Parts: sequence; structure tokens; C-alpha cells
Amino acid sequence: MSYLNQPDYVCYVCNCGSLKPISKIYFCRHCSKIRCGYCVCQEVDSHYCPNCMENLPSSEVRLKKNKCSNCFKCPCCFQTLSTRAGHVPLRVVPADGEDSKDVKTTPKKVYYLSCSLCRWTSRDAGIPDQSMATGGWPEQENPHTSRINTLIDYHKILASIEKQQSERKKFRPKHPYMQIIYLFSFQAMFRITSAMVRKHIGHPAKPTNESTDQPSPAVASTEVEELPTDIFTEPVEITKITTLEQRLQQPDVQTENVNELRPQHRQLLVRRSQRCRVCEHNLCKPDFCSQSAKFKIQLAAFYHVPEVRIVTCEPLRPGKSSELLLKFCNPTQHQTQVVLLPLDTPMTPILTLVDEKEEVKQDNAQQGSESPNLLPSIVRQVPVVEETKSIKITANADVVLPQNCLILPRRDDAAEYDDTGDTHNFQDDPKFVIWRKGNKAVIKLHVIPHENLEENNNQPVVIGFVMQYRYVNTITTLEHKAPQKLDLKVKLYLTIGNIVGSA
Amino acid sequence: MEPQDVYYSKAEYVETASGNKVSRHTVLCGSQNIVLHGKVIVQSDAIIRGDLANVRTGRYCIISKNAIIRPPFKKFSRGVAFFPLTMGDHVFVGERAVINAAIVGSYIYIGKNAVIGRRCVLKDCCYIEDGAVVPPETVIPSFTRFAGNPAKCVEDLPECTLDLMLEFTKNYYQHFLPLSA
Amino acid sequence: MSSFVNRRTNVKIAVGALVCEESILKGDITIGPNTIIHPKASIIAEAGPIIIGEGNIIEEMATIANRLPVDAPEPTTIPVQIIGSYNVFETDCTCEAFKVGDCNILESKAYVGREVELTSGCIIGASCSLTESDTIPEDTIIYGNECQRREMHGKPYPPISQIEFLLKILPTYHHIRKPNIVPTKNEGGL
Repeated sequence: MSYLNQPDYVCYVCNCGSLKPISKIYFCRHCSKIRCGYCVCQEVDSHYCPNCMENLPSSEVRLKKNKCSNCFKCPCCFQTLSTRAGHVPLRVVPADGEDSKDVKTTPKKVYYLSCSLCRWTSRDAGIPDQSMATGGWPEQENPHTSRINTLIDYHKILASIEKQQSERKKFRPKHPYMQIIYLFSFQAMFRITSAMVRKHIGHPAKPTNESTDQPSPAVASTEVEELPTDIFTEPVEITKITTLEQRLQQPDVQTENVNELRPQHRQLLVRRSQRCRVCEHNLCKPDFCSQSAKFKIQLAAFYHVPEVRIVTCEPLRPGKSSELLLKFCNPTQHQTQVVLLPLDTPMTPILTLVDEKEEVKQDNAQQGSESPNLLPSIVRQVPVVEETKSIKITANADVVLPQNCLILPRRDDAAEYDDTGDTHNFQDDPKFVIWRKGNKAVIKLHVIPHENLEENNNQPVVIGFVMQYRYVNTITTLEHKAPQKLDLKVKLYLTIGNIVGSA
Repeated sequence: MEPQDVYYSKAEYVETASGNKVSRHTVLCGSQNIVLHGKVIVQSDAIIRGDLANVRTGRYCIISKNAIIRPPFKKFSRGVAFFPLTMGDHVFVGERAVINAAIVGSYIYIGKNAVIGRRCVLKDCCYIEDGAVVPPETVIPSFTRFAGNPAKCVEDLPECTLDLMLEFTKNYYQHFLPLSA
Repeated sequence: MSSFVNRRTNVKIAVGALVCEESILKGDITIGPNTIIHPKASIIAEAGPIIIGEGNIIEEMATIANRLPVDAPEPTTIPVQIIGSYNVFETDCTCEAFKVGDCNILESKAYVGREVELTSGCIIGASCSLTESDTIPEDTIIYGNECQRREMHGKPYPPISQIEFLLKILPTYHHIRKPNIVPTKNEGGL
């Protein structure tokens, strides 16, 4: 929770060098490495409307220009419009011969759009009320549509001409008399039109229906419309003029008057999925349904890497040792061993299986070749790997690291309801491990801020260490039948507080 | 940072069999229509209007001081009806927040002084910042953070928000301890 | 120091008004018929009496206060706060305005200061606060955190159907204060 509304006190260092809290990083099980938001490929999973939560397939999205067809946005305050029902008594026209007293007035339901925040209604804009509850709202016409369409058509013609020319250039057989044979036989493959063949042989071209007339070019003129003279005499009614933001929401029309504002369609939001750039495996894939908060694949680091939290820290004085309590939590289904190492330890994972040497050799061989799970090269984009940045934070306090390792049992959801207490008997050093419950433990460390830190600097005290934890990789590939046990290392930087008092 | 223990005086709170901790200073109108599913904390001076319509909360909800949970009303051609308000599990409602929503999903954090308009629908795993005003009838999608007046989406939430909220509410409940007199 | 007269609570409730027992009423208050005061609403008539018209809805945690600011000089006449009819004061709003007209809506957490005068048909949006001396013209809507204004076509609907509904169901759940204004009988012809 503190990851949502508090500053980042505990930051993990990703492979690319960026510092992120544990909630924002992912863990790739195939590479056994931590990936942050920069090291993953963000992909669009699905589009959905934030109001009606309707999922749209990507082909339709392009047609509808990323906008939902049912939901409207208030042109005044940009909130969602809701449909309200109003009553209009409908008078039935009496047929000839009938007395007008027999005519019944049936109240007919009409619908209008209304904003619940600023109470703008579609009646303000002059849009007539609809008889259907959904749909049927008139679309706003773009006054420049015809001009834009002629320009687009003209450029499409130019593009097709250019394409034909470039294709002709590509294909140059050696003997001239073979050209005709090639043209005819490969017509289907190269999509050469019959017009091209005819032109090549020398026959006159078939009259085309496409007009290649250039549309009238835009004329730049220095004459500007004159201001009406009453702009100096009449007072400006602020409430009737649109604001810039309101105007720019409708770039087609950009009205100046409030009563010409029309509701716009709501834009669609996107659900993202993340993919590791190195091994191309999916790290995070949301469920198809836009309403559910579940994931098909969720490899956030929160579920694989032990979480470190600061419990308390004694007031820090430069040069003096203070106690720091850290809480470690093991989120995995396997027991793990946590060892704290100094910052300058090399960050290579260590395998801990019995036949270690064999495994290491196989791993080395594999590192050079590509992963067998890569997509075929036609579909795959060239991965852009993030270049490693230097870590911008420096530790300005020393931590007295303990020698013994901390064993954290596996996460057990049923233990919450079990009141019989922990059945684990860990021989814990009472000065090191203060508290234990389930898969969590609190340890005590001593921190000595550097001598040169001053109280007035407002510089927070930062400590860093490398946490080595045993990770059991449950992915069984062809090479490794048994689950691998790796000792992975991750660098952490903790902001533990400000200096209080001087040495 | 790890949350600290919050103490309450034992005389002030009633603990029910299902683990609900309800303060005696709350105003629970129509308490027969209010269903608190279990391990729900309702702090002092909160107001839950069960007399207007049914109010249901899930487990591990936390309703802070002075919060107002009020079912929304809808105008029909034949009059007005109050709609039941359903809240999911693991919802944290901040102090002085006004909730008029129709459906509040699960794993939601509502900041203090927030105003949720009438008939809003809050989907799972969203975050409403302190002081945000959500206009009536808005739908707040999952994994978004809303702030401001009127509330707009400012950020996307990380994917593990579900577990973060779950842990937060559970921790809050476990740290909400009676002061041993 | 301004001498603030602590009046004994003197509440006059007209027939047809629904005042919940759990509401907080202090001072000299007159409540018109068909007005609904929800539990935990507070009406504080510190500096002078408050007269509330008919058909108002005052929801919980709403505060209608007639109080002078701390440093104001003592007034020569006792200030009377007049609230019109068919207004809606939603939850947690604060109204210290001297004069409120008809058919206004103060949304949740709105704050209207003393110097402001609300005419009729105004809608003060949620969390908007009006502190400076101003007269809000009719049919104005104030919304957003910058208190932007708009004119609305037509007045907001008076909450008659909501009043009817509440008049039916609130007595079943709450203790109600009994009305104590006896309507004056017709003098002639009896």
C-alpha cells in the first residue's frame, strides 16, 4: 500500500540501472532477471471504452478512430454524458370527421444528453431530442471534409503511380524479348496490371477512369478578415464564449460560441501487456474482459522477489550507530534463504544443484544461442534493449551486515486460519531476528551514517546492500528436468531518514 | 514503511462474531439493512444510511472516521427510488469521504475528503486520491488513479495493486488493536 | 470581543416537516412544512435566528450556520438568516450565507460564505467554496475546483418526489421531533 501513496523508500536496482520500488518491476522467469518498465516491451492488448467497458477488436478501433460510438463527452467540462428521458406529449392528429375531443395525448418519451457535472444538455446545443435511448445522435459534419477527401484521393493516386514505377525498376530481366514472357507469367505474383503490360508492349493505354487532375492548390493570401466594428462597443459576454480547451477538443470546427459546442465521442483506453525484450516472453498479460482485474500471466517481481520493508529506524546521527529494523517477506511457494552482501558483490546468479558443473556448462552454451521460444523472425521486431545506465544514487551510510543467513519459509495462505502457531523451529540468533510470523521476519541491522553528513543538508540517509535469495525456477525446459535452484542477487537502496542532530 | 499499530479504547468498539469492529459513536441508520460481511472496521462518527436502501460491504473493509456511505437515488417517471449500495472486499474509505456510488468494487482505496457522485461505478483495483470529486454517473475503470475536481485519470496503477490492497487492509485490521486498559 | 448571545434552543417546527431526532439544532430556528432534516444535520443559530422555508432537504453532516465572523463588530440589528423553499443541502455542505433563495442545490462539501447571496436556481458544485462577497445570479451553475460558472437553461427540478419518498420511509427508521406550530384557525365563520 505504501507503494501507492508514499514515496519510494526501498528501491530495487534493475539490470538497466534504474531504481524502482518492488511494485513497479517484473521478474522474467526465463532469464531469471529483474526487468523494469524500461526493459520491457509495452504492447497494446485490447482497447476498451472507459464508460461502457466495451471491448473493441483492433480492426474496428482503427475504423472508429479510437473512439467509442455510444459514449459522449461533454463539450463543456469533458465528463461523460448520460442519457436522460424527458416527456413530450404527442398530439395525435385527428382524422377527418373525428371530433378533436376524442383525440388522446400519449406522452412520448424523448431522450436528451445531459452532463451531471456542469448540467450541459444537448438541448443547449440545439440538437433535437431523440426517440431512441441509444444511438441516433447526429454526427457533427466536418466543414472541410470535401477538401480533405480530394487531397487524400489525389495523393493516393500519386502513391500508386510511384509504387508502379518502383516495381518496374526492381524487375529488369536480361533479354528484352523475355520481358513480355516474364510479364505474362509472373503477372499474378508481382501484381502487374494489364495496363502495365499493354504499355510495355507498346499498345496505346486504355483510357483510365481515374482523373489525375490536381486539386486546386491552397492559396496563401495576405488579406485578413476585418474585425467587426461592434467589437469595441459591445461588452463581451464571457459566459457565451468558449475557452481554448473547449475549442481544441473539437479541432474540426473550433467554435467560438458556447451554443455551437457539440458532444464528442469518448476516447478508448488501452490495456497493456508487457513482454521481456531479451527473451520475448510475456511478463504480464491482462484478462480479455476489460472489467476483470485478473491476469492471464502475471510475473510481477512482487510475487517472486522477497520484499523488504522498513519497520523503524532509530534517529540517525553521523558517525554513530543506529538500529534499523527491516521486514523481509517471502512471496514464493518455496522456502528461501536470504543473505545480505555488501554493495560491491558481482551480480552473477549461482546455481546450487548437486551436479553443478554440468549445469554450468550447459548454461554457458545456451547463453550464446537464441532462446528456442523466440517468435519466427518475420513477426519479430528487432528488440531494442535498454542501455545500462549508471546508478544515480550513492549510499551515504554504512550497514553492518550480518554473517548469518535468514531462512524464510514458504508462503502459506492456510496458515492465516491456523492458530496452532508456527511449526518451524529456526535456530535464530535473537539479536538478529527479532520477530517471525509465517513467511515474514524482522531483522535488526546497525547503520552508521558517514561522518561528513550534516544535519541541515536535508539529504536523506541512503544505505545499500545486495540481497542474495534462493529462487526456485519452476519452469522445466528440455535441458533441466528438475526445478532449478538459483541464488539470485539484487541490489537494494533504502532511504531510511534524515540526520537528526550532529555528531 | 510498515504501518504502525492503531489503538482504540475497548469500551468504544463493539466486536461482533464475524470480526466486525464497529464504534459505538457511529450513526447506522436502518441497521437491519446493513450487511457487514466480516472483519470490517467502522470508526467513530461514520454514517451508514441503511434506511434509504440496502448497504452491503465485503470483507476487510475499513470505513474511517466521519465517512458517509449513502445509497444513491434515481428518479423514475413514477417517483424516486434509492438504489442499494454494494461494496466489495478490501475497500478503504478515507476520513470524511462521501460515497454516493451505486457499485463500489473490491480492492479500492478512497482517499480522505473524496466525493463520489451519485450512481458512480467504481471497478476493482482503482485509487481515488484525497480530495478528488468524481462527478455523478462516471465509471472508473480498473487500475486507474483518479485525482482532482472533477476527477480525471492521472496515472495507471501497477499490476500487483490487488495484492497490495489486500495486504494493506489485512495489516490494518491486524494492527487495529484494543488498548489494554 | 463580540458578545454572542447564547439563545436557548427554540425550534418551531411546522406541520408536515420531518426533523430527525439525531439532528443538531441550536438556537432560534423556524422550519417550514415539508422540510426534511436528516440525522446529523446541524443548524446552528448562533448570532441570530434562522428561518427555513418549505420543501427543503438538509442532508446529514450539512451545516447551516448563522454566525458572525470572529472579528466582526457587533451588529446593530440581530441578523436573521432566511432560507427559501425547495433547496437541497447535500451531505457535508456548509451554508453561512445570509440569504438563500429557492430551488438552489448545494452539492457535497460545498462551502458558501457569509457574504454570498444565493438567488434562485443556483447549483453550487461539489467541493466548491464561495468566500468573497458576491451575489450569484439566477440559474448559475458553479463547478470544478476553479469554480467555473455556467448559465443553465431552466431551473433545476424541485425535489418534490424525493421529499415524498423520504416522508414515507424516514419515520419508520428514526425518531422524529414533533411539530409544534399549530396552524392558525380561520377566524371568521366558525
